[in-house]
Amino acid sequence: MKSHIPKPRMPGGANRIILRRTAVLMALFGVLVFVPLAGKLIQLQILRHEELGRMAADNQTRTSSITPARGTIYDRNMNVLAVSADVENVCIDPNELALSGQDTDAIAESLSSLLNVDKGWILQRMEDTGYRYQIVKRKVEQEEASAVRAYIARQNITGVYLEPDTKRYYPEGTLAAQLLGFVGSDNTGLDGVEAAWDEALTGAAGRIISAKGNYGSAMPYHHETYYDPVRGSSLVLTIDETVQQMLEKEMREAVAQYDVRNGAFGVIMDVNTGEILAMATLGAYDPNRYAEILDLGTRQTLEEQHRLALLAEGEERDRLLAEYSTALAEARLAQWRNRVIADGYEPGSTFKSITLAAALEEGAVSLSDGFYCSGSTSIKGRSKPLHCWKSAGHGQQTTAEALQNSCNVAFANIGIRLGGEKLYEYVQKFGLTEKTGIELYGEASGIFFDEATLSNPDSYASLASAAFGQTFKITPLQLVRAVAAVVNGGYLLEPHVVYQVLDDDGNVLEQHDRTVIRQVISRQTSRTMCGLLESVVSQGTAKNAQIAGYRIGGKTGTSEKIDVFDENGNMVEDKIVSFIGIAPMDDPKIVALVALDTPSTETGYYISGGQMGAPTVRDVLSGVLPYLGIKPDYSEEAANRAEVSVPDLTGMTEQEAETALSELPLTFRREGSRERITDQVPAAGAVIPGNSEILVYFGDTQSDETVLVPDVTGRSAQEANEILTAQGLYMKIVGAEGAEHTIVAVRQTPAAGTAAEPGTVVSVEFSDLSAQD
Amino acid sequence: MGFLRLPDVETSERENLADLPFLLLTLLLTGLGLVMIYSSSFARALYETGDSAYYFKRQLVFSLIGAAELLAVSRVKPELLKKLAFPVLGISIVFLILVFVPGIGQSENGATRWIRLGISFQPSEIAKLGVILSYAAMIASFQEKMETFRYGIAPFAAILAVIVVLLRLEPHNSAIVIIACTAGAMLFLGGVRYRWFVLGGGVMLLGLAVILGAGGYEASRITAWRDPFSDPSDSGYQIIQSLYAIGSGGLLGLGFGQGRQKYLYLPEEHNDYIFAIVCEELGLAGALAILLLYALLILRGYWIAMHVRDRFLSLTVAGITTLTALQVFFNIGVVTNLLPSTGISLPFFSYGGTALLIQLGEMGIILSASRRCSAGFL
Repeated sequence: MKSHIPKPRMPGGANRIILRRTAVLMALFGVLVFVPLAGKLIQLQILRHEELGRMAADNQTRTSSITPARGTIYDRNMNVLAVSADVENVCIDPNELALSGQDTDAIAESLSSLLNVDKGWILQRMEDTGYRYQIVKRKVEQEEASAVRAYIARQNITGVYLEPDTKRYYPEGTLAAQLLGFVGSDNTGLDGVEAAWDEALTGAAGRIISAKGNYGSAMPYHHETYYDPVRGSSLVLTIDETVQQMLEKEMREAVAQYDVRNGAFGVIMDVNTGEILAMATLGAYDPNRYAEILDLGTRQTLEEQHRLALLAEGEERDRLLAEYSTALAEARLAQWRNRVIADGYEPGSTFKSITLAAALEEGAVSLSDGFYCSGSTSIKGRSKPLHCWKSAGHGQQTTAEALQNSCNVAFANIGIRLGGEKLYEYVQKFGLTEKTGIELYGEASGIFFDEATLSNPDSYASLASAAFGQTFKITPLQLVRAVAAVVNGGYLLEPHVVYQVLDDDGNVLEQHDRTVIRQVISRQTSRTMCGLLESVVSQGTAKNAQIAGYRIGGKTGTSEKIDVFDENGNMVEDKIVSFIGIAPMDDPKIVALVALDTPSTETGYYISGGQMGAPTVRDVLSGVLPYLGIKPDYSEEAANRAEVSVPDLTGMTEQEAETALSELPLTFRREGSRERITDQVPAAGAVIPGNSEILVYFGDTQSDETVLVPDVTGRSAQEANEILTAQGLYMKIVGAEGAEHTIVAVRQTPAAGTAAEPGTVVSVEFSDLSAQD
Repeated sequence: MGFLRLPDVETSERENLADLPFLLLTLLLTGLGLVMIYSSSFARALYETGDSAYYFKRQLVFSLIGAAELLAVSRVKPELLKKLAFPVLGISIVFLILVFVPGIGQSENGATRWIRLGISFQPSEIAKLGVILSYAAMIASFQEKMETFRYGIAPFAAILAVIVVLLRLEPHNSAIVIIACTAGAMLFLGGVRYRWFVLGGGVMLLGLAVILGAGGYEASRITAWRDPFSDPSDSGYQIIQSLYAIGSGGLLGLGFGQGRQKYLYLPEEHNDYIFAIVCEELGLAGALAILLLYALLILRGYWIAMHVRDRFLSLTVAGITTLTALQVFFNIGVVTNLLPSTGISLPFFSYGGTALLIQLGEMGIILSASRRCSAGFL
């Protein structure tokens, strides 16, 4: 550089300094200062290009979300169980309302009357003027929304607007509530199927990502990406709405009839596919208003608690209010609880079917073995003797009789013969120590003995009580699945409540077919068990489960709650009575379990599965079996219980009437002397028991006198029939049938004393009072 | 190239020629700046005025006037400048005081930096020129006495003190920094002993420490500089938006006019932060090319300073060149977050008519002085 600098022309040495120092500045400002600038630019534009570019893109784009409709939940016949509909939220912009100078008081007044929302509350929301969004009322339906819209338009209001939302409807109300679950205000499934399948039902929110200038000004270049919303998938459940209704109806009636204090649970499963046809827990709730306590008693208690809390003052008031909140939360959780999957219970004697199946499969016992029951027996390692439920004892019994009698002494021995290790092995194989894997959240896995306790050679105490189903807990679903395996040829299945997942166009995205986990027992053992379980209903403790024309099998159960104590620390003698029924026994199709938690001791009924559980399941099955297309098959001896529709005989001659009735198990008695039949009792179309006699009038007309229905309760079937027939009434037998003196009429419809026309069918329910298990 | 010749000076033809490379670089930068004004401002112009070319048109008018002014000033006899040195300084001090007169001074964001007298301008811009011219004149006449305190320090410090105090009252810190640095550079050229620079630097650092210690907006600028993302919506907002623009440019940029940050995201996008839009649209390549043009202009400026056969003119040219270099460095340093944020515009690029007129006037002075160079360049 220096050589290029010409000699200074300016006078004095100062020039030399200026020249030299200018060269310094030249190097500094002409070159050096650009180095860090260029370096910084390289850093930002090359090294951090991607990072900053991405951040810039985020900065420059606006994402608007498009919420898709939530999928529908159908039952197996495509009846809607849960569906979403478009609703709207009424929102205000407090900031806008404040700035616009409108009469907010008048607006609050109008909104309050249109939406039935407290005006003071609305005014409070309006005071949050720092906000631009407050919801006045969520999920408003079309009618209300239109009214608000009209109001906004008429008064030219700004700062009040509607935004779209969706609302979940459960058209069947409480039906299968705990199974379906419910959806929170943010449209997220919070319980049941709604929660477990939330992701599928929700779908994926769509997005529009568009380039926007700040303040939302549009950018001229095209940069808009549209992600389609994926509509939520719909679910087809294995549940059959009709079966569910039948189950819940009978459970409700049982709860009323036996004054059941603690609710009930029931489940019906297809034994061959593992599909759940119905699953119910009482007391229920309405998922449309899931936060409300449905049970009247509980609600009144809570309201009273709340009232008292509000009357108190100071800290006392806070404490009481906190207690109330806790109680309310607990009551909600309780009514939302699906006890079929979430809670273990002591299965009691229903478990004997499992023990026996294992023992037969292992050859530990055979059908020809004999068991003696004196009413009690001593068990090694057990301090007190083991009592059978029948203190007089069952005497000498075959294996089949031991099951029919539900004999604890016999089953303790069967358990000991099988051995703790083997029993434990089968408990595992029957899936009682694992979750069933049903497509729901919150499943419990039961509490069972560990293998060492059960196979302790020094003490059979645990083994003995486990063998007849006590001192451990399993879930109702686990039991039903295990019993299904006992009767279906030995296959432990995966239970399903969701059959199909459908996309928006109805295409099947996912289907849950029969899945066999393992074969637990042989087909032969299974067939033997079917026969044994059928004999429990035909001859044993479950006679009350008999249904004319159907071969029903099953096992009763009465269990004490092992871990419930009263406030004094004493074990509460509350009982859970249950019956697990299977039908039809020649080719099992369904298994149904109903358990009633804590029936009252004051109804006069003996508290047992045979007295309470069996009739309930019988009533369920007598509706469900015909509904499922399983035809009754009346054997010779059951023919009198077959039901016949009376044909129209009027206008016929005696000869013609005989011909018309020849195919039917009906006879007729003639009155009058004319050629042709002029009237008949009962009238054409009436359904009467088989082997009944029809009264036909040849010329005479029937008397229009009514008769008073006599009281037949406490009578045997034969006596009752004679009494009713004498009054010109027909008897329809429901329930247990047999000549034993323990089988007597317990209920009748119409009730005694009711006036009825001759020919009316009186339905009489017989119960086997000896069924004390 | 007849206009480059100063007709009324009886010297050799070569010596009467203005410096063509410097002229071309100036015009090139002004033209590029004008184009970038259009690209960077149209979104805001449309949003604010409905006319996307609003700012461009105004800047175009000033650019044309500025070009004429440039040529006119370049034809002024350089000797005339010396006579104007102190009047310019005096006028600028008057203006700096007028800023505080209500009705004349204009406040913006708590600072009073503008004067409105028919047209709006910042008196600090004139003060910069005033300091350069007066310093050059004094240094040129004091010569060897510059090494003494009485001549080399006292009068310069007095002038600077008056201006700094007035600017601090506005407040206008960036102008203080620029003027102080320029003044320092000129005293450096004038032969002031190095120890005075140590002292001067110490005074500046002390002043800075006092200002930052006071914890005003200056302190928050430092925080935002060190970590802009600590307060992305407020103090860090502008620099973050600038980094977004620069970073998304990459090597070759989004293309002229294709920038996105100018859509009201980046404040001052056609003003102090226009270089961020340059980086976004033209990429690293374009940004470095423009830096190169600035570097060439500055190198050529010093080159002229070294070849002018007059102490006053040489110092004036070096002073103006240094001023330009400082503005470029500080502006781009701020935009890239190399330096803490402060309001310094980018010469020839930033929007602002009077600033451009003054800058082009200064370039005209350099061109005028270049006619007294000892060597020819064409």
